[in-house]
Amino acid sequence: MILTLHLVALALYGLATALALAPFMGFRAAPRVLTIALPCGGAAVQVVAISQLTPVGLGPALSMLALCLVLLQLASERLVRGSAVSFFTAPLATGLVGLAILSGVTPDAEAAVARNAWFVLHVALSALGLALMALAFIAAALYLLQFRELKARRFGQVFQLFPPLERLDQLNRFALVAGFPALTLGVVLALGYGAQFAGDLHAAKAQIVWGLFTWVVLGWAVWVRVVRHWTGRRAALASIAGFSAVLLVYVALKLTQPGAERFL
Amino acid sequence: MTGHAEMGGGIKVVGVNHRTAPLDVRERFAHGAHEVPGALARVMEAGASGGVLLSTCNRTEFYLVSGDEPALEAVWALLAERLPTAPTGAGAREYGYIARDRDAVRHLYRVSSGLDSMIIGESQIQGQVREAWEASRAQAGPVLHRLFQTALHVGSRVRTETGIGRGTASAASAGVAVAGKIFGDLAGRSALILGAGDMAELAATCLSDEGVQITLVANRTHERARAIAERLGGTAVTLEEAWPHFATTDIALCSTAAPHAVVTWERVGAVIGARGGRPLCILDLAVPRDVDPAIAQLENVFLYDVDDLQTVAAQASVRRRDEIPAAERIVEEETDLFWAWYGGLGVVPTIKELRQRMDDLRAVELERALRQLGHLSPEDRARVEQFSQALLNKFLHHPTIALKAAAEEGRGYGLLEALRRLFGMEPGGKE
Repeated sequence: MILTLHLVALALYGLATALALAPFMGFRAAPRVLTIALPCGGAAVQVVAISQLTPVGLGPALSMLALCLVLLQLASERLVRGSAVSFFTAPLATGLVGLAILSGVTPDAEAAVARNAWFVLHVALSALGLALMALAFIAAALYLLQFRELKARRFGQVFQLFPPLERLDQLNRFALVAGFPALTLGVVLALGYGAQFAGDLHAAKAQIVWGLFTWVVLGWAVWVRVVRHWTGRRAALASIAGFSAVLLVYVALKLTQPGAERFL
Repeated sequence: MTGHAEMGGGIKVVGVNHRTAPLDVRERFAHGAHEVPGALARVMEAGASGGVLLSTCNRTEFYLVSGDEPALEAVWALLAERLPTAPTGAGAREYGYIARDRDAVRHLYRVSSGLDSMIIGESQIQGQVREAWEASRAQAGPVLHRLFQTALHVGSRVRTETGIGRGTASAASAGVAVAGKIFGDLAGRSALILGAGDMAELAATCLSDEGVQITLVANRTHERARAIAERLGGTAVTLEEAWPHFATTDIALCSTAAPHAVVTWERVGAVIGARGGRPLCILDLAVPRDVDPAIAQLENVFLYDVDDLQTVAAQASVRRRDEIPAAERIVEEETDLFWAWYGGLGVVPTIKELRQRMDDLRAVELERALRQLGHLSPEDRARVEQFSQALLNKFLHHPTIALKAAAEEGRGYGLLEALRRLFGMEPGGKE
């Protein structure tokens, strides 16, 4: 059942991706109602699937991350009319759900642990934090693309379809400022959970060091925005650096310390 | 001199436009209102009997009534003088075009209808055609007067009877769209305006309509700046007073009539540098450009000139393209009407001249014949003269009717040309 629901979500996200990218392939833009309804439908199906899932392991974590991304995409569309966010989030969410299915969306270990509120909150906040960081990255990437087109006086698809610079800058700031505390809280909850219930942290030294490095880089990106009042291109580059650090650390840890049972 | 010869020959248009010449060339060819009489005088010295110079940011066109090529050569030479590397007419000719007679009439009608504009259906050209006609009034002559008068009528008719002018697709509205892509919501943003011409006022109004606060209007003529500033709620200042405000404004709209860049690196480079990362959108609607392109190198400066904005607006005008066939039909219909008038214009004088020539011949031959028929009585001489007159009338009756009918059907011009050649009334009427 959970797998079937994920497959349905995958199909809906796949369709949403095709519609989002259609204008770049020379097709007419799909009606707005359809570009919103498809990810909405996919998210609804995924919510049902995740509610039946114990959030332990890579598959459920990826699935939850995809859901957070889609929900943030819909919020961006509603709040800042940032429909172009879907150019990135739609394929990313599709890919994440696909990976989740490949990794296995049925947990086979630590099911009891997963029912612990601390743990669920840790996973949910971490996924939300990562999704917000991804959104910050996407807004920054869209900003840099639109910036480049506007500076170069090119008025093609990017100019027409991407949101205004100021709006992307606001979206980037919001995602960064909201994402960093969420991610931090997620990590703190993991530490608290380890100390309270597991008796130990159950984390390798490399995980702690690189996790800390990621946190510092992201913290720096938030600091330059909030304290140093960086805006525009510099701020976009900072948040891209922050998210790149997250991705690099994730890939590095997965390569050096593989394990399907945990997200990091 | 009679007919079209009396009017100085056929109608011609010679010039360059946005399709044939890049902006930097069009900038060089652009003529200010004060340059128009001198330029036309030179062309008329070369043989044109009437001329109107239409010079906008998209085109510089000489509408001429001229019979021969020297006038056209004079135009190319005049334009070539403005090119840095080509002192001969050939240099200018490679950017331009010539349309003659009916094609020239159709061309002007398409121009005034906005069909030949970069932004299909834009309405500003209508005013520019009117201004060109008024600026050249002393040199236009009767045919071009009529042509420009009807061109304005055609422009109005096309805009009224078709949807070619619907929606906002002008350079000014494109400026608003571009600024919107930088700032998002424009309400509450500030703008300073350099220049106080029609274009500046139109663009400033477009910005104001979006909620942009027009803080300053700077112009060489203070009175004009004050009039716009008062209307849009800003303050009128001189150009020199405007430079420091580049540090604070969000949008700078430049549309002065200066012959060279006024917003230079020296004047505003340091001021803009002090803005920090705040974006500044500069809309340069002037031709020649008001803003030194080097300023765009500053990180957060977004500089757009007329070509850029017209590219944006051209995208918006795609919807107007559906109306082109209907507009073209009106242009064709009106071209026929003008051509009928133009053909008819030469018919009466040409017929008069033809009859006169034939009558002169008749008189000479009659006198010669009567000299040899000295024995005839006065009554018989009168009868012979009457006969010659009747014969001439019979000969000329059908050509006269045919010419008048052709003129009414709009084919008069071609027939007149043929007649003039056949009866040796060419060139320039009476020999």
